Amino acid sequence: MIELNNISKSYRTDTIETLALQHMNLSVPAGEFLSIMGPSGCGKSTLLNIMGLIDEPSEGTVVLAGREVTDYNGSKVARFRNEQLGFIFQSFHLINDLSVVDNVELPLLYRKLGGKERRRLALEALARVGLSNRATHFPNQLSGGQKQRVAIARAIVGKPNIILADEPTGNLDSHMGGEIMDILTRLNKDLGTTIVMVTHDERMAKRTHRLVRLSDGERVS
Amino acid sequence: MIKNYLLLALKVLRRKPFYTFISLFGISFTLMILMLITSMGDALFGANKPMSEVDRMVFLPALSRYTQFYDTIYTIDSVLMDDGTMRYDSTFDTEEIGSNNSDGSMSYHFITEYLHGLSDVSEATAFSPSSFVDGYLDGRKVTFRTYYTDGNYWNVFDFNFLHGLPYGKDDVDGGNQIAVLTDKAATEYFGEASDDVIGREVTLGDRTYRVGGIVARPLKDDPTIQGDVYLPVTTMDRRALDAKTLEGSFSAVFLATSPGKRESIKKQLEFLAENFVMPPEEDYEEIALYPGTATEVFAGGIMQERDYDLAKMMFFIPLFLLLFLFLALPLINLINLNVSRVYERKSEIAVRKAFGARSADILYQFIFENLVLTFIGGAIGLILAFFVIRAVNANDLIGIVRLSFSFKVFFYFIVVIVLFGLLSGLLPALRMSRTNIGTALR
Ligand SMILES: Nc1ncnc2c1ncn2[C@@H]1O[C@H](COP(=O)(O)OP(=O)(O)OP(=O)(O)O)[C@@H](O)[C@H]1O
Ligand SMILES: [Mg+2]
Repeated sequence: MIELNNISKSYRTDTIETLALQHMNLSVPAGEFLSIMGPSGCGKSTLLNIMGLIDEPSEGTVVLAGREVTDYNGSKVARFRNEQLGFIFQSFHLINDLSVVDNVELPLLYRKLGGKERRRLALEALARVGLSNRATHFPNQLSGGQKQRVAIARAIVGKPNIILADEPTGNLDSHMGGEIMDILTRLNKDLGTTIVMVTHDERMAKRTHRLVRLSDGERVS
Repeated sequence: MIKNYLLLALKVLRRKPFYTFISLFGISFTLMILMLITSMGDALFGANKPMSEVDRMVFLPALSRYTQFYDTIYTIDSVLMDDGTMRYDSTFDTEEIGSNNSDGSMSYHFITEYLHGLSDVSEATAFSPSSFVDGYLDGRKVTFRTYYTDGNYWNVFDFNFLHGLPYGKDDVDGGNQIAVLTDKAATEYFGEASDDVIGREVTLGDRTYRVGGIVARPLKDDPTIQGDVYLPVTTMDRRALDAKTLEGSFSAVFLATSPGKRESIKKQLEFLAENFVMPPEEDYEEIALYPGTATEVFAGGIMQERDYDLAKMMFFIPLFLLLFLFLALPLINLINLNVSRVYERKSEIAVRKAFGARSADILYQFIFENLVLTFIGGAIGLILAFFVIRAVNANDLIGIVRLSFSFKVFFYFIVVIVLFGLLSGLLPALRMSRTNIGTALR
């Protein structure tokens, strides 16, 4: 499903060049639930961004669903992101000007769906993360954990084939974290959704099929 | 899809009340001022009754008589020759050192005697504006601004006759004592301005006139049409009318056969003035005429400048600059607001793209937001302008001038605003829609 071939990523600022990823090879078969662990700054988010086509590698190739990605800006890649990918960002990135339910609805806006149907799916996704009673709130009226759950609802609302989750349980207590893990596990089992999840929590990692460890931009296991 | 964008735009605007308010205020206030200025321009210069043909009119408000003094100036040049001697050369020059002049209205005699028979003229009128004549009724005195006009006056100016008719050439030739009153004057004198007033008598000075017609008071401040009462020129003081001097109390207006022929009429009048043979009894040696179009005479009057081209530049260039600034400032402000708003929403754009928005989707979204804002602002501006114009008219804030509402101006303004809104929102949105999502979401 996802294949990274010899991926390197460097960030260039005025003075220094940071190598965030070095010669990374990783293959995630369809239906796998993969977790990624590693110390802060080792390149986990960078890796996820490259898998999700929102960052271009400096070197190497990304093959998604059997196709090598060359164009990162066209309408084809937009469609792919819309239908195949669901993101859970480390810092949520909710849109503050939109209500919770509008935020969750966002991926569906770019599909051919009626307004009622969109709303129904969004409310359903919110119900799955236990936030039905906050649908009309705005993001700045929510706690960190609630924001994270909204971000999760937004990622799963479009039933994507791949979910890329950057510490989806990072801000949650163990009970809530467990519930989110249940949701992801069920998506993976019932719908065969491929999931790549960054986590700092060994217990969460244990519930996945496979664990990949990074250190300083390199795979160590 | 359009409905989605529309709803989204409304949601965002509602969530940013301050931004929305500033933008709406800028758009609507500018629109209102613009509508006011243009409707004032239209009231002053527009082709409205009784000056529907203003584009064909050449105004000749006055005559200038002058004598120039010349002096002979000797210049002596000394040249040192090779052999050491000096040679002296003298040259002389005549130079204008001053002139003595007198400006004023013209006599009826001058206009009828010298200014007739010009080509490209379809109608010409001579009239003596602004004598103040007292009217009496039952011992009550009303002072009227009185115009003595020839019969052609009513052909040049298309007054709106509410009741009755104007006097014609035959009435003027026959010295018939017929008056045309404005509705305001009729109301002041008779207490009403209706058909019943036609044929009734009005005592003006030492004469009694029959009311022949009632016209709507012109809603325009122009010295050629500001009378309360209009009387045949032959009923004025005969000594003034028959005087053979050049100066008098009359002005002339020529109606050209087409707007383009006005220049020809002006040229003919200037030529006539240059070749004018001064009657021996006059104190001055030469005359000058300064015919001009409505805007030329207006600008010349305000700027006190005889060179009408210069006067127009002196008057209109600063005016347009001011107007331009007035429009440019809020527009620049709008652009600035738009640009910063788009950049502020960098992460929103990135998130949308991460979830599948195409660049085009992002553009449409911003276009819609701008359009919605523009149209709401436009609507508010329209309503504001409507009420301000009504208040100005109701309270006579700018004299008798009546402002009217121009949908054309409104339309043009909306077009301009939409263009600016699009440009200002589109360009940054276009750039943002291409930025790397990953870096935007840091
Ligand atoms: N846009 C950028 N410009 C410069 N350097 C960057 C940029 N993005 C990431 N980096 C650097 O790349 C390295 C990897 O960053 P990344 O965000 O992938 O780390 P991480 O493993 O997700 O860390 P954390 O667990 O704290 O989220 C870091 O050293 C970071 O400073
Ligand atoms: Mg990270």
